[in-house]
Amino acid sequence: MQTSRRSAVERGLLLVIAVPTLLTSQATGDRQPAAGTATVGDTTLFYKALDLEGAGKSLEAASLFRQALHTANAVSALLGLERVYAELHQTDSLLPAVDTLIRANPKEPIYREVQLRSLQTLNRDGDARDAFERWLRDAPRDPTPYREYARLLLERNQAQRADSVLARARIQLGGTGDLQLEIAQARAALGQWEESAQAWRSALAQAPYLEQAAAYALAPAPNSARDGIRSQFFAPPLIVAARRSLATLEDAWGTPANGWLALRDLPADSVSAAAWLDFAQRAEAEERWTHAREALASVLRWRQSPDVALRAAIAAINSGDPGAALGLAPLTLAGVDSARAARTLLPVHVRALAALGRPASAERLVVAYDHWLTPAARATLARSIAFGWVRIGDMSRARGALSEAGEEADSSDAAGWIALYAGDLRTARRLLRASGDASPELAVALALVARLEMDSAPDLGHAFLTLARGDTLQAATTLAESMERLPAAASLLLYTAAQWRRAARAEGPATELFKRVVEEYATSAEAPAAELEWARSLRRSGNALEAARRLEHLILTYPQSALVPQARRDLEVVRGSIP
Amino acid sequence: MKSVLGRLARRAQRALSRSVAAAMLVMAPLAANAQRLLVPMDDAQQNHLKAYGLTYNALKAGLKAEWLLNYRGGSFLLPDTPELRRQSGLDGITAQSIDEGQLSAIRAEIAAANMDAIPLEKAPRIAVYTPPDAPPWDDAVTLALKYAGIDYTPIYDDEVMRGDLTKYDWLHLHHEDFTGQMNKFHLGYREAPWFVDLVQKNSAAARRLGFNSIPALKKTVAEQIRQFVDRGGFLFAMCGATETLELAIAGAAVDIGGAFADGTPMDENADEKMDWKRTFAFQGAHLEQSPFVNSMSDIDGHQVNVPGRRQPLGAFTLFNFSAKFDPVAAMLVQDHRSVISDFYGVTTSFTKSMLKPSVTVLAFEEGAPWVKYVHGDYGKGTWTYYGGHDPEDPQHAIGNPPTDLSLHKDSPGYRLILNNVLFPAAKKKPLKT
Repeated sequence: MQTSRRSAVERGLLLVIAVPTLLTSQATGDRQPAAGTATVGDTTLFYKALDLEGAGKSLEAASLFRQALHTANAVSALLGLERVYAELHQTDSLLPAVDTLIRANPKEPIYREVQLRSLQTLNRDGDARDAFERWLRDAPRDPTPYREYARLLLERNQAQRADSVLARARIQLGGTGDLQLEIAQARAALGQWEESAQAWRSALAQAPYLEQAAAYALAPAPNSARDGIRSQFFAPPLIVAARRSLATLEDAWGTPANGWLALRDLPADSVSAAAWLDFAQRAEAEERWTHAREALASVLRWRQSPDVALRAAIAAINSGDPGAALGLAPLTLAGVDSARAARTLLPVHVRALAALGRPASAERLVVAYDHWLTPAARATLARSIAFGWVRIGDMSRARGALSEAGEEADSSDAAGWIALYAGDLRTARRLLRASGDASPELAVALALVARLEMDSAPDLGHAFLTLARGDTLQAATTLAESMERLPAAASLLLYTAAQWRRAARAEGPATELFKRVVEEYATSAEAPAAELEWARSLRRSGNALEAARRLEHLILTYPQSALVPQARRDLEVVRGSIP
Repeated sequence: MKSVLGRLARRAQRALSRSVAAAMLVMAPLAANAQRLLVPMDDAQQNHLKAYGLTYNALKAGLKAEWLLNYRGGSFLLPDTPELRRQSGLDGITAQSIDEGQLSAIRAEIAAANMDAIPLEKAPRIAVYTPPDAPPWDDAVTLALKYAGIDYTPIYDDEVMRGDLTKYDWLHLHHEDFTGQMNKFHLGYREAPWFVDLVQKNSAAARRLGFNSIPALKKTVAEQIRQFVDRGGFLFAMCGATETLELAIAGAAVDIGGAFADGTPMDENADEKMDWKRTFAFQGAHLEQSPFVNSMSDIDGHQVNVPGRRQPLGAFTLFNFSAKFDPVAAMLVQDHRSVISDFYGVTTSFTKSMLKPSVTVLAFEEGAPWVKYVHGDYGKGTWTYYGGHDPEDPQHAIGNPPTDLSLHKDSPGYRLILNNVLFPAAKKKPLKT
């Protein structure tokens, strides 16, 4: 214990002695190595100091960094010294050394930056301001002092002072071309969003890598300022980084669909293609299929790629445009042999043809590629073809398509659906229950067939068939009408029909059915859900008073319902008691 | 010393009469077959904040209630009416119907422990000092009142200067800067549209009301508020309003505004000229002279807007007061948690060394030189200060989205705010004893 204490004291004394020695020698410009001190060419000191810093021995590292200030590694050594002194909470000890270095080399900006940073860290705002002024005197035409001091002020949330520094730069330098990034940040901090966007745009023209920084800085802009930002980023000439940044911003603002507007007219090149691919990936993940298709199609216009073509075709089908899919990913795509086409492109074509109501064409395609198909692939394609036949109302061909594909296809959920369309509830019940699908459509179908005890219900089948053929409104009407012959599931039938109407944007007729569920089947399992939908519909139509009445009724009538928390939250919104 | 002894004697007398009263309550035959609604406020409660609204609105409807201090987190006892049952059902408030036997057992438990039943008689008339166009989401108290379903009247300079404060029992202040320096927001937001608008509106109000500057107007408003408390009003302030109200009152005759606010620099000797005898809570504070430092004085322990002085957030602890001896302080700290995470505000906390000796500390941070929540009497009225801006948004910054209290319906920090709203309803009983 005694020994270590003595050592610490000795080390301290050595430091005290070493500092004046170092400062004196530098101040006089004497570069001759004294006994035991560094030489200019000695690079080992700096690396030894780095090692000590890496080992967490900050005090020892500080000593060597100080000695290395005499060497050719002076700049790096000073930065190292800044780090270790910060660790030791001795930033003030750095200042005399920096002063000496600046006197020896007033043109070195790193020394000045370290000095400003240290003074700011120590809250010596006045001294920092003086140091900035001295730097300006030594380098009157250099934008660096303005940039560094403005950055420090911005980091300290002193946007107004940073703005004053930048205004001074404009006058002294005759422009602020090199300071656009700092101007952009200062303007954003001051809530001057459009001016900030303008500066960001200029900064992005010089430094495209700042696009994420721009999006981050502008993301807090309020709704009212966003159109101004958009107009700045859309202004000619087109700057790709600015447009990419805007697309990211639109995502952050919760308006990702607008992102495509920022990207769609970019010139077709590798930079734009990267932006389109990024955008498409996000759109696919969020199931915004139309935008995904457009972005991927733009990539294809620049350069064909089988993978992108396949993604574009899938996006087209999912967006409800199966015809486009056939053109986006032709089976004769360059670089794709027949085996790969059968594995990747054929299923998309078969799906598209089925959706277009051309199952016969799909069947012919499958026959043409049969040589490259596995039994599992055949069964999958048969299901798609069967749905194609369903779509054009030929149920016997649909069943035939599944039977021909073998037992696997014939016992699949597709076969279950076809049984349901035919009103064969018994078969539908058995096959649909075994399905691994987790779609909402399947959940509704299962709920209905489980509620009904009979084995046959042609009306119900007809309603689902009409839905599969794309006529949602007629399907809803058929389903609602079937309730008279299927009283055991009347409330569920009405509720489902109401949901289908809402999906088809028939808000009024949907609400009528929700209302009937509540009024005519008040004790059914569907009543709370129907009442919640009814209330939401009233709120959307601006009838807050009646919406509140419905929500109150729901909460008090069905206190055990799992929907009560949602109803309470809706009630808060209707009453205006939460933001 | 004499006054301390006198106070102890009064407390003892009060305790005795209260114990007798409590015993009589337990023994007395209760109103025939009257069922009660017990609103527990411990962890069994599913919506603590709405429970205050239920109780407040029961009082407003002319019903009587009781606040069962320290019993199951500070529960409420209400008449079992269909309307209250309906309201508790709608708001998801846990409430249980209890019969006379159960009530007697509760009263016996209260009589035997550090608990008390405080009658709540009349819903206080509530005013919130806030700009006319401010949304309720800008202030934790209006957020809480709105969420709990408690009505309040927004008032501002025109109403205060017209003498409207006499219409209310309870007044809340939040982030108003009563020194008239607009919280020194000019440092960071001088050209921000919302700040320009704020300055213009306040300048127009000053001119309209006959003052030559915003500081002059705000100091006069502060004086009106001081008089409101002196006459018997209840004041509850949070955030920057706590500190600046005190500075404005103490500095009524001193230039404490920077040149950016009133055209002349702050009096260099302002510290010496402050009259702390007139203030509610603090004394001997040093004003921040620099217009470039975003701080008003050293009253705030955390100095959130001054980078070199900013202190990290910790947690604060509520004092456990004797419900029978200190019912007022006990009411103000009723909560289902006793240690609560701290949260920043323009003024986050109050430096201990600046508190007047008469101040009751309600919550403190262990080992810290500041306290969080303080209370005291002044003239015929009372005041309570709660540091910080929003208990559920600890790092709140300008432009942040508002807090959705339906996601924090059991917030212990917000409960402290609502304790203050109900406390005036019970004020008269302690005075009677």
